[in-house]
Amino acid sequence: MSDTPLFKVTIDNITIEVPAGTTILHAARKIGGDVAPPAMCYYSKLEGSGGKCRTCLVEVSKGSEKDPRPMPKLVASCRTTVMDGMEVKNITSPKVVDARASIVEFLLLNHPLDCPICDQAGECHLQDLSYEHGKDGTRYEFQRRTFKKHDIGKYIQLHMTRCILCYRCVYTADQISDKRSHGILDRGDHSEIATFIEKSLDNDFIGNVIDVCPVGALTDKTFRFKNRVWFLKPMDAHRDCPTCSGKVTLWNRGDEVYRVTARKDEWGEVEEWICNDCRFEKKKTSNWVIEGPRLIDRHSVIAQGHYAGKIGLTKPTETFSAVHHGRQPKLLMDIHSVSEVNQTNIDLSSINGPAHSNNFNVNKY
Amino acid sequence: MAKALQWIKMGRKLLLEKAHVEGIRYYDVYRREGGYRSVEKALKTMTQEEIVEEVKKSGLRGRGGAGFPAGMKWSFIAKPEGVPRHLVCNADESEPGTFKDRYLMEFIPHLLIEGLIVASYALGSNATYIYIRGEYAWIPDILEQTIAEAKANGFLGKNILGTGFDCEIYVQRGAGAYICGEETALIESLEGKRGNPRIKPPFPAIKGAWGRPTVVNNVETLAAVVPIINEGGEEYAKIGVGKSTGTKLISACGNINKPGVYEIDMTISVEEFIYSDEYCGGIPNGKRLKACIPGGSSVPILPANLLLKTAKGETRYMNYESLSDGGFATGSMMGSGGFIVLDEDQCVVRNTYSLARFYRHESCGQCSPCREGTGWMEKVLLRLEKGEGKLSDIDLLWDIQSKIEGNTICPLGDAASWPVAAAIRHFRDEFEWHVTHAAEAQTRNYGLAHYADPIHVPA
Repeated sequence: MSDTPLFKVTIDNITIEVPAGTTILHAARKIGGDVAPPAMCYYSKLEGSGGKCRTCLVEVSKGSEKDPRPMPKLVASCRTTVMDGMEVKNITSPKVVDARASIVEFLLLNHPLDCPICDQAGECHLQDLSYEHGKDGTRYEFQRRTFKKHDIGKYIQLHMTRCILCYRCVYTADQISDKRSHGILDRGDHSEIATFIEKSLDNDFIGNVIDVCPVGALTDKTFRFKNRVWFLKPMDAHRDCPTCSGKVTLWNRGDEVYRVTARKDEWGEVEEWICNDCRFEKKKTSNWVIEGPRLIDRHSVIAQGHYAGKIGLTKPTETFSAVHHGRQPKLLMDIHSVSEVNQTNIDLSSINGPAHSNNFNVNKY
Repeated sequence: MAKALQWIKMGRKLLLEKAHVEGIRYYDVYRREGGYRSVEKALKTMTQEEIVEEVKKSGLRGRGGAGFPAGMKWSFIAKPEGVPRHLVCNADESEPGTFKDRYLMEFIPHLLIEGLIVASYALGSNATYIYIRGEYAWIPDILEQTIAEAKANGFLGKNILGTGFDCEIYVQRGAGAYICGEETALIESLEGKRGNPRIKPPFPAIKGAWGRPTVVNNVETLAAVVPIINEGGEEYAKIGVGKSTGTKLISACGNINKPGVYEIDMTISVEEFIYSDEYCGGIPNGKRLKACIPGGSSVPILPANLLLKTAKGETRYMNYESLSDGGFATGSMMGSGGFIVLDEDQCVVRNTYSLARFYRHESCGQCSPCREGTGWMEKVLLRLEKGEGKLSDIDLLWDIQSKIEGNTICPLGDAASWPVAAAIRHFRDEFEWHVTHAAEAQTRNYGLAHYADPIHVPA
C-alpha cells in the first residue's frame, strides 16, 4: 500500500479508518447503508462533479482532533475531505434531515412528476430520493417551468423539464467522449441543457450521458416508451467490441433485447463506459454472450416480479394441478382472439420508435 | 503627531481628496498632484513583506462587502516555487445600490492603477487583471488609456523604475452577470468559462486563476492601498473607530436630496449622514424616513427606528461594527456601501419583490436551493404584492429563505435570503396588511405606520 496516513472519522457514531484525502461521502459509503448520504450530482468517475445538488449535506460536529471546532454550515460531503478525528452527523442530525427534506422539495419544485410516462421511472434517483427523504406534498402553487424542445439527435431524448442540472452529462461529454457539443445555456432557474445551435449528439461514447443522468432528462431514444424497466430482465452480457470493453447489461423481455446499458454498481454508477455501437446498435441476443442475471438490489422495483428475494432463488413449483387432482388450468379466452394490439408476431423491441396503434393496423390494409 | 491629528480632523478624504481637480483623470495632472508616490516608495524602499505588513497594520477591510481584512488575505497567498501568482481586481460592481467603484474608475482611474501596481509588487503578480462588469461598457477604455499612460511613464511594463519588477495590467470585461462578482465565479469567467462559483476549499489564494495562487480584491480596497503606503499603516488605522479603520466610500441613493458617492471616515452617525447637507441632504418633499438598506441590496433592511438607534438605544454610526450591532435580529451590515433610503411612500413588499426578482435573475443555477428557491420566493412575493397572497405565504417565505441560507455553494443564496428575512422580521405588519387589505393595498401604500416610533429600551 501507499504511505498515505490513515484518518479516523466517525460518521453517525460509527468509526472507520480511511486514507487521507478521502471524502466524507466515500467514507460513509464504506460504512454503507443509511449512513451513506444520497448524491444526485456527484459521480465518483467524473472529475470535478459534485457539490451542486446539496442533497449530500452533512453536519460536521467536530472538525478534527487538532481543531475540534464544528463547521459553521452544513457541508457537501461529496467534496469535503475527512480530517483525522472528524465527527460527522448524517441521519443522526435533525439539521441534516431537515435540510435534505427541503433540498428534495426544491428539486421537485419544477420537476413535472410525469413518472407514469417517464422511461426513467423505476431506476430514477430522484424517485428514490423523494421516497426516502421527501415530504408528502408540495407547497408550490405556481406553474412549473417549461422549455422549448430541443432535438439532440437520433439516439438521445432530452426532456429538459425533468432535468435537475447536476452537470453530470457535461462532465461525461468532456471526459469520456472525444468532443462536447452540449452544455448549459442561460443561468438560474431558466438554465437548460442544450446544444448551440441545434446539433445532434452522436460522438462515440456520448450514449453514456443516458446512464449518468440521475433523472429522466436524458433517455435512450431506441428504448423510448417500449417497456417499463421493471418488466425487463437485466442480464450481464459481453461482446468483443473494438472500441469499448463490451461489458454491458442487457434488458430482456423474453428473447427480445429492449435496451443495452452499462453495468451499474450499488451506488448507481457505471462500472465501465460503453460505446454507442454497443448501446444503440446491438439489439439482438445473438450479438452477445450472456453471462447470467444481473444482481439487482432486492429493494429495487426492478427486482420486483422477477426474483423472489435474492437472485438465484428457485422459482416456486406450480401447485395448480397437484391441488386440482391433476387438472390443468383452463384457458377461457385468448386475448389475441379479440384484441389486435400486441400481436405475438410483432416484436415491440424492433419497432422503430415508440409502439403506436398504427403498428398493429397492418392486417387491415 | 500634530500633523497626523490635523489629517484626521481635516483630511477625512483619502480617496476622493483630489477627485475634483481638473484633469485628474490624466497622468500629468495626477502625477503633479502627488500621484504614484506610493509606487516609488514601495518599489524602491520596501520589501514585499513590509508592504503586506503595512496593509495588515492599517486594518484595511475588504471593501467589496464581506469586510475581510485585506492584509490577512494577502498573507494567505501560497508561494510555490516557479508558479506565477496573480492579482485580480474585482470591478464587477453589480450590487444594486452600489456605484462607488464606478466613480473611482471613471474620475480618478490612476488611483486604482497606482494601488494595483503596489499590490502587484507586494503579491508578486506580474500579470494583473481588472475584471470589470460588462455593463460598464465605457470604463474599459478609460482604464486602458490610464494603463497606457502609466506604461509610457515607466510605472508599468518591464523593469518598473529600474527595480527589476515587471508588471502588466489587463482589463477583462465580463458579460453582465452579478454572480461574476463572487471571486471564484469571477476567476472562472476570467479563464473564459461559464461564471459558476467554485466549491471552496481550495481557496483562490492556493488555487485561483489557471490553478495559480490568486488574490481577488475590490477596486476600493486596492485604491486604499495608496494612502496606506503614503502615510503608513498606523496613520491610516488612526482614522475611523475600532476595527473600522480608514475611510469608506458610500454610494447613497433612493429618496434623498443629494444622491452620490461620499467618502466618510466611519465616525459619523447614520442620522447625520442622511440629514446633513454635507452628505445626503435629507429626504425630499418633506417626507419622513421609513426604512433603509445601508450596505447594498443584499444586506438586511432596517426600519427608521432601528436604523438611527441600536436596540440598546445607542446612536448608530456609519461603520462596520455599529451597523451590524444587534446581529441580524436588530442590525444590518456595512456591506459594499450601497446606501438605499426609502421614504414613507415606499412599499416594503414591492421593494422586497424587486430584490427577489433580481436574485432570481442572477442566480447561476448551479446549486439547487438557490436556483429553485429564489424563483419560488419571487413568485410568492409577487402574489403578495398583487394582493393575491395568503397569510400563510409570509411563513412560507420565511421557511424558504431559511432553507436557502447557508446551504448553497456561494454567498448569493445568503444574499437572496437576507433581504426577504429582514423585510419579514421588521415589516411583518405591512406584509399582513397586503393580505388582509388586499384591495386597498393596490391603491395606496402602507405608509410609515409605527416604523419610526422610538424603540422601547429595557432598562
